[in-house]
Amino acid sequence: MKAHFKILGLSIVAGLLAACSEPPEIAAKAAKRPDVAPYMGANNGFVTKGWTPGNQASWTESIDKRNQGQNEYSRIK
Amino acid sequence: MARMKFICDTERCIECNGCVTACKNDNEVPWGVNRRRVVTVNDGIIGQEKSVSVACMHCTDAPCMAVCPVDCFYRTDEGVVLHDKDICIGCGYCSFACPFGAPQFLSKGAFGSRSKMDKCTFCSGGPEENGSVAEFEKYGRNRLAEGKLPLCAEMCSTKALIGGDSDVITDIFNNRVKTREKNGKYPGSKAFGWTTAYGGPDAPAPTPTPAAKIPGAK
Repeated sequence: MKAHFKILGLSIVAGLLAACSEPPEIAAKAAKRPDVAPYMGANNGFVTKGWTPGNQASWTESIDKRNQGQNEYSRIK
Repeated sequence: MARMKFICDTERCIECNGCVTACKNDNEVPWGVNRRRVVTVNDGIIGQEKSVSVACMHCTDAPCMAVCPVDCFYRTDEGVVLHDKDICIGCGYCSFACPFGAPQFLSKGAFGSRSKMDKCTFCSGGPEENGSVAEFEKYGRNRLAEGKLPLCAEMCSTKALIGGDSDVITDIFNNRVKTREKNGKYPGSKAFGWTTAYGGPDAPAPTPTPAAKIPGAK
């Protein structure tokens, strides 16, 4: 009988303390990940030639040249 | 490098929807989501019917960024407004705030009637590794990192839609307007900046052509 009370007591204590061991359920604030600049190039086989990945100046120059591809006045000349 | 922008020349857009198709195909945008669409106004009014290709305008002071409760948006050094889909909760606030209807949601998805927001990325992917499969699956192609410009603009058959460095595309557009003026169209339109593209405060309101003046119309 004494043993039963002991077990009962222990289970009540274990039940009451169970909440103390639970990890917090508050979602951590999602952190924004840094994005890599486009002039660093892409990790695939579709990168155009004529500029050096990692060199911002060469990327800018290449993009500006490509921009002129949309200008018929410079394309037709 | 200035800021990346799109501009659509309404005098040239022929409503072919090539830009819409190119965007959907290149970025494998799912059914029901349109990152770009062509809007036509003054339907049937002769001489006044105009079409314009619309997507995210990558606003300088973007309202979507301002209202996002989880702050999932960011702006790149090139002025492109992007978002992190791992942070987005699909609440839809951005779609109510955007004046262009750019933020899109799948009709079915993880959030029941809504999904993670999807929008034009100016073909520059997202926060995943540039050109990776993970980036492609979440955000589509990263053409900027491949040294290219957005496909919608680059493949536009009439070059109505132009995209790229705002200084360069404004220059291209101004040159067109000046040429039009020289050739007698819209004299005195004062080619200057964005108002020329979308009509300034002085632009007259369109007047419908009376049916009596249209041959064959009743």
